[in-house]
Amino acid sequence: MNILSFYVSRSYQFLRGEILVIPSRTIALLLCLFLLFFPLISANDFILRVLILASIYAIFAASWDLLSGYTGQINFGHALFFGVAAYTAGLLNYNLDLAPWATIPIGALAAVVAGLVIGIPCLRLRGTYLAFATLAFPLILLGVVSAISSITGGERGFSGVDPLAGSRVASYYIVFPSMMVLGFIMWKIADSNTGLIFHAIREDEVTARASGINTTRYKLLAFCLSGLFAGIAGGMYVHFMKVAGPSTLELLLSFQVIIWAVFGGIATIYGPIAGVFILYPLREFLLSRYLHVPGELTMLIFACIVLIVLLFMPQGLITWLRDKTEKICPRCKLQNVATRSKCRVCTADLD
Amino acid sequence: MKWLTKGAIILLIACLVLAAVSCGEEEEVKELRIGVIGPMQFQHGQHHWAGATLAADEINAAGGIQVGEDSYTVTLVQVDSNELVSVTDASSAAEEAITLDNVDVLMGTIRSEAALAVQEVAMDYETIFMVCGSSTVEMSNKVADDYDRYKYWFRITPVNDLYLGQLNFLLVGMVAQKIGAELMMPPKLAVMAEKAAWTESIVAAAQAYLPPQGIEVIGVWQPSDKATDVTAELTAIEDAGANMIMTALSGTVGIPYARAWEELEIPAASVGINVMAQADDFFENTGGFGNYETTLNTLARDVELTEMTLPFIDAFIEETGEMPTYNAGTYDAIYILKEAIERADSVDADDIVVELENTDYDGVAGHFVFDDNHDVTWGPGYITALGVQWQDGELVGIWPPADGSWNGVVYEGIVDYELPSWVVEYWTQ
Amino acid sequence: MAENIIINGLVLSGVYALLAIGFSLIFGVARIVNLAHTAFYMLAAYLIYSLAVTAGLNLYLSIFLAIVIVVITGMLSYRLVIARIRQHEATTLIVTIALAVILQEALLKGFGGTPRSVPKIISGSTEIFGVAVLNQQILTFGIVLLLLVATWLFLMKTRTGVAIRSTAQDREVANLMGINVPRMEMTTMAISAALAAVAGALVAPLLVLTPGMWTHPLVMVLAIVVLGGLGSLKGSLIGAFILGFAENLVIFLAPSGSYLKTSVALTIMIIVILIRPEGLFGVVFEEERG
Repeated sequence: MNILSFYVSRSYQFLRGEILVIPSRTIALLLCLFLLFFPLISANDFILRVLILASIYAIFAASWDLLSGYTGQINFGHALFFGVAAYTAGLLNYNLDLAPWATIPIGALAAVVAGLVIGIPCLRLRGTYLAFATLAFPLILLGVVSAISSITGGERGFSGVDPLAGSRVASYYIVFPSMMVLGFIMWKIADSNTGLIFHAIREDEVTARASGINTTRYKLLAFCLSGLFAGIAGGMYVHFMKVAGPSTLELLLSFQVIIWAVFGGIATIYGPIAGVFILYPLREFLLSRYLHVPGELTMLIFACIVLIVLLFMPQGLITWLRDKTEKICPRCKLQNVATRSKCRVCTADLD
Repeated sequence: MKWLTKGAIILLIACLVLAAVSCGEEEEVKELRIGVIGPMQFQHGQHHWAGATLAADEINAAGGIQVGEDSYTVTLVQVDSNELVSVTDASSAAEEAITLDNVDVLMGTIRSEAALAVQEVAMDYETIFMVCGSSTVEMSNKVADDYDRYKYWFRITPVNDLYLGQLNFLLVGMVAQKIGAELMMPPKLAVMAEKAAWTESIVAAAQAYLPPQGIEVIGVWQPSDKATDVTAELTAIEDAGANMIMTALSGTVGIPYARAWEELEIPAASVGINVMAQADDFFENTGGFGNYETTLNTLARDVELTEMTLPFIDAFIEETGEMPTYNAGTYDAIYILKEAIERADSVDADDIVVELENTDYDGVAGHFVFDDNHDVTWGPGYITALGVQWQDGELVGIWPPADGSWNGVVYEGIVDYELPSWVVEYWTQ
Repeated sequence: MAENIIINGLVLSGVYALLAIGFSLIFGVARIVNLAHTAFYMLAAYLIYSLAVTAGLNLYLSIFLAIVIVVITGMLSYRLVIARIRQHEATTLIVTIALAVILQEALLKGFGGTPRSVPKIISGSTEIFGVAVLNQQILTFGIVLLLLVATWLFLMKTRTGVAIRSTAQDREVANLMGINVPRMEMTTMAISAALAAVAGALVAPLLVLTPGMWTHPLVMVLAIVVLGGLGSLKGSLIGAFILGFAENLVIFLAPSGSYLKTSVALTIMIIVILIRPEGLFGVVFEEERG
């Protein structure tokens, strides 16, 4: 009993001291709670579908961020992980009747292997070379997919993969909490020592190496971790859509994930997640259904919004909002509301 | 910072109000809502829509669909699938149409991957889905595998890819005969098929069945369906000594293919499937090239398949200024649906499916009967499809041959196939 | 067969070279990855279509106008958009993709998705070593050669050219030497856009125009510049020829695999950079510090 009350009071203190004091965290918490209980408010299948796909893409975008945002190894072919996992999970389920709980992890492992396969050769490449080289991998695989169309179904893919769960609401309660958990794990990784090393690699790889860090190993780790999470997203996608096809490998998807991540703000994990939750519903139905933009203009307006937002907030929307509403204490490095003049913990002057 | 918070709140409220307003717009009218789903920025989708609009207007003008005492108006909902860009978009659009726009029936789609995805969504909601564009037999196989789930699916156009393969051979056979008769030489065939699942059976069958019939297959070229330049492939075909090319092209590659084919005067008659050559603006799009290009088609301007054909073509041209393609099969789809509903005397999907299975209908494209897998039946007396050729800038029907040599099927308005002048010149010199 | 491969390979490689060199120039000088580069090429092709076919203007005039408009668009998008966010690498990528998508969607809105054709500057075909070659292809190759030589002369022999090259080598020192770096970058952007526009004008009659026609050349250009070495013009030229010929070899040697030509070309690129991570003629950035 005592232990229980200890934890309750600790989490209450944590809530009060770490979340409620900062508006952005409060809003994030409220939004998460809102989305968690959303099916109680509206069980409209379409809205749930958009939220499910947004959650899947959010995992995907965050996994890109973990690799590219943190280590600076810009991956232009992130669809590779998604597609490899989608095809692996889809084929295993379609041909061997493995259940989704088995195919999704196996698919994710396949994506990890893909991460190794492209990670090892790409380790010697730097910056823009790496970006352009990674672009090639999903496109090469796309050629392979059409070449072995007796297995993959070629350009039409194959349909009839088992669904994630019996009902839409059940799928939602699988995907959305998974997204929160996986997002939290990624955020924790990024916040850990490993994350710090990722940062260091991006900022100055030579110095990182000089400090005795095996940057090669960490870069490879970043590729694998990123592949793992992107693979989970790909596996969930294929079971949710019940169709696996070459569109999971296309250039568009690789570009799309970068758009989401950069729009939200890279090297934050929550930025890309927020980016997906803003942009995906916006393009999917908000523009056309509620803002009455004619269908053929949605993509144009979408691109303009992305362009304009990034023009004024080149660090990304969420990062910009964070920098406007919060200040970091120069002494203890904790976040504070921008209106405070002294740090909430160590009372150091904030300006 | 305050203005930002205020702004955000105002925006949020505005969104909620808008949402509430849009949700409250439903009316109490007896209507049958049909979602026409296709890539609305492209000709395919536009023809889906135009064909459906014509049918809906006619039916509504004639008093709608009669179910018992009630008469239902046909309301069309345009659903932009964006399928040529994103398959996810297509299935989301289908679900949006079913759940938010409350459509009772979906029809359309062209890209196979997207059609399969939409099929899954429609079956989830037990919504009737009539395909007017994708030919993949994978879709009808699903009905055979799991009838209870997939019975809501039907294909209107085109005939499935297995039939398309057979049709292709019939056209190839006709041209091969012509080459034998006019050029006095054995036919040597090059296969030009885009790399796609639907062309696979065609390519395999060509290699297996044509040589025994005396048609030598000298090679298979498989560009991507979106290739923008196939001059290299064509010069390779010329180099290999072909005098015939069998095409299986559905993507935009059909345009550069036909253009370079005439411009380079490749000495091989081109016959088969080139979806781009089915459209009216083909000649304009190739910059005036592609004469003599021969392709399968559903309709041809002066060919009377049934008595419905010519009035429909005239009406369609008046409406859009274009000759209808196979995607305009939404017109037949709506009439077939109407008849089924009236026979079933119900708008319940399961009842309609039973009656759709009993369809026996003379439509624009021929006589519609569905087979056990809900696929439109091909053959003499059913949907036959046509061979058409571009002759002097006009698309004319050339198959089934006017002499009735294909099972006695003869249509008004069929003319003779012509070998391209440069092919004749090249081989008779 | 061999003559087929050579002739078709030369034409294709020439066009790739034109595109790759424009892309490489602006990357070398301003370190900007302009993913909208091939969208400019598409814009030029569509402008020619709308001026020459829809509006019925003289073909040469339309080509000229198209190039001018594309150059202005390029300079405007540099000044108004790219220059403002260029220090953020990832953001530059997205913003230039957004630019390309905006162009694509505007063209889709204006012309629909139906493929379009542009009249040839010269029509007909000629037999060279028994291979039928379109006169337009010969013209394309001729102009490509001419332009490549002109670009080379410009960069090597003129004052502006030297200034551009020194900016590419070291912005700060160039600035100290009294070179107006922003103006050099603007000039480079104009040249780069012009090269893309000329490529568009030359190939438009050989290809079909669709609003998605920018993606495949973009992939090829990226592969070429990586293969040749980023920022190296010589590398881009040689890379273009390697990949252009690779694509044609696939078509001729493995006809039933011609859809794999892009995959094969990309694989070649990967193999080359595995052996030489900085590309064929790239500078080693190994110890470059940010």
